[in-house]
Amino acid sequence: MTSVQSAISRFRRDLTIGAAVRGSLIFGAIFCLLGGPAGVFSTSALHGTVVLIAICFTWFVLGYRSIQSSRIAADSPLLIATGQLDEAEKRIDAALKGFSLFKANKLLSLHHFAMLRHAQRRWQESALLCGALLRQRMGAMGGLSRPASLLLADNLLHMGDLPGTYAALGRLYQQRLNLAEALTLQQLQLEYLSRVGAFDAMLAGLKSKVQLAELMPSSLSARTHAFLALAALKTGRIKLSDWLRKRAALLCEVQTLLTERPALAELWPNPAEASGGR
Amino acid sequence: MEVRTLLEVSQPRGRGRWPAFVAGLGMVLAVGVLSMAQRSDGAEQSAQTAISLLMLLALVGLTAYNYHQARARRKEQAQVEAAEELVQLRRWPQAAMALQSVLSRPAYLPMARFQALLYFTSVLSRFHRFDDVIEICDHLLQILPPTAPPVHMIKVTRGMALLRQDRLFDADRAISDLRRFPQSNESGALALLELYRDVKTGHPNEALEMFGVRRDQIARQLGHRVADAYVLAAKAHDLLGHTDAAQAAYEAATLLAPAGELRRRYPEIADLAAKYRQTEAPAEVLA
Repeated sequence: MTSVQSAISRFRRDLTIGAAVRGSLIFGAIFCLLGGPAGVFSTSALHGTVVLIAICFTWFVLGYRSIQSSRIAADSPLLIATGQLDEAEKRIDAALKGFSLFKANKLLSLHHFAMLRHAQRRWQESALLCGALLRQRMGAMGGLSRPASLLLADNLLHMGDLPGTYAALGRLYQQRLNLAEALTLQQLQLEYLSRVGAFDAMLAGLKSKVQLAELMPSSLSARTHAFLALAALKTGRIKLSDWLRKRAALLCEVQTLLTERPALAELWPNPAEASGGR
Repeated sequence: MEVRTLLEVSQPRGRGRWPAFVAGLGMVLAVGVLSMAQRSDGAEQSAQTAISLLMLLALVGLTAYNYHQARARRKEQAQVEAAEELVQLRRWPQAAMALQSVLSRPAYLPMARFQALLYFTSVLSRFHRFDDVIEICDHLLQILPPTAPPVHMIKVTRGMALLRQDRLFDADRAISDLRRFPQSNESGALALLELYRDVKTGHPNEALEMFGVRRDQIARQLGHRVADAYVLAAKAHDLLGHTDAAQAAYEAATLLAPAGELRRRYPEIADLAAKYRQTEAPAEVLA
């Protein structure tokens, strides 16, 4: 089992080595292309071409190995989603330990590792990995910063680090999110606001929040409805709270919901009765 | 545009052969220049210059070609993802336009075409074009291996379209086929399809039995579409004369989805609106 600290150190070292190898190969190729006509390779006129071919060959071999290692890790999100965490860990470990010529592969593997630790409910380790990832310059992989920030916010929320969660969520408001990311953000935002007791803010734009909740998978939708019901209850809107609470109970077993989020217990003083009413 | 035309036009384009042709030509030229250089003294320097330039040209050309291809693929994938969001947001006319645009030219990525066709079936179902839904499903089932994970969902979509067209015999055969899947008992979508079949064919007891056993599974897998199961259960209770149970199920269904939307999906339940009270959404949500 890879420790998070060693994975982060290896990740940073591999990025440096990868950049150095890439730079050397590109510099060598340019030198051969320009040095040949300029007469640098004076001992044998065709020597520059041979070196260039060797550089191209090295690039293709290293590139092929990098693509192979990225393919090994490509299934990790699916394995994590289906609960095959040991298999996912093996693949991510192999991808992180293998050499890659391309930075994108390493960034993606570290993100998968953060997802794995999150699925294993090891929030602190997952948060460390997300932090290490977000400190990198993403370049063409800039889109990865959004899921990484969402994951970080969720980890910090689980750890009870509310200022950290606020900062992570704040970063996301400056970015253009796709629908799936917007749904996750809404759910995290509601949970964060309920923790800080900003119940009025939770009910702002209620119609669109309910519409978005309808697009979520059932457990997340139920949780979102339940948090909105809690906010309505706290602000004295009993009829609205009741409507939202009943919807949540139709989508997910109340007992499961309360096990995941005990803060919602106020909505169902008698959970067994609520489940029986489904 | 006709669905058949879209299916033909959107067939994935073959990979261009000209890069391989250019690479081959470059190799022949390089070998030619090398052999000429070996025959004449003092021409080695010029040969190296020519080969270097040739390689530089090939490198730049292939990079530009790959960049263009990658950009076109990314654009196509982004268009399909945008269409998927429109479908999820139920912006049907916009989704129809976006998907028609993707499908009206040869696809770069077979997977993007597959996704676009799958989303297109949702749009066509919304507009009650069930013949076209069945045609797309049949096409997808032809190109996919029988054990591919999406096959089950495509067959369920096809089964639902057959039921909506009152092709009950074909629908029943489709359901029997789906039942042969190893994990058919774990499919909420199949449970909903069977529930609809039982209500449509006048077997309310079987429908209610199915609803009782599979309700939680449907909710877990289909989210808000569990409203469909509740409204079909309400219809089954109504057929049996269980008015209180029908009322409770109808209230649960309309708690999750508007009555009009449920009627659009299942015309058979239209009479329930006059018989039973629906759940009204609070004013704050309607505002």
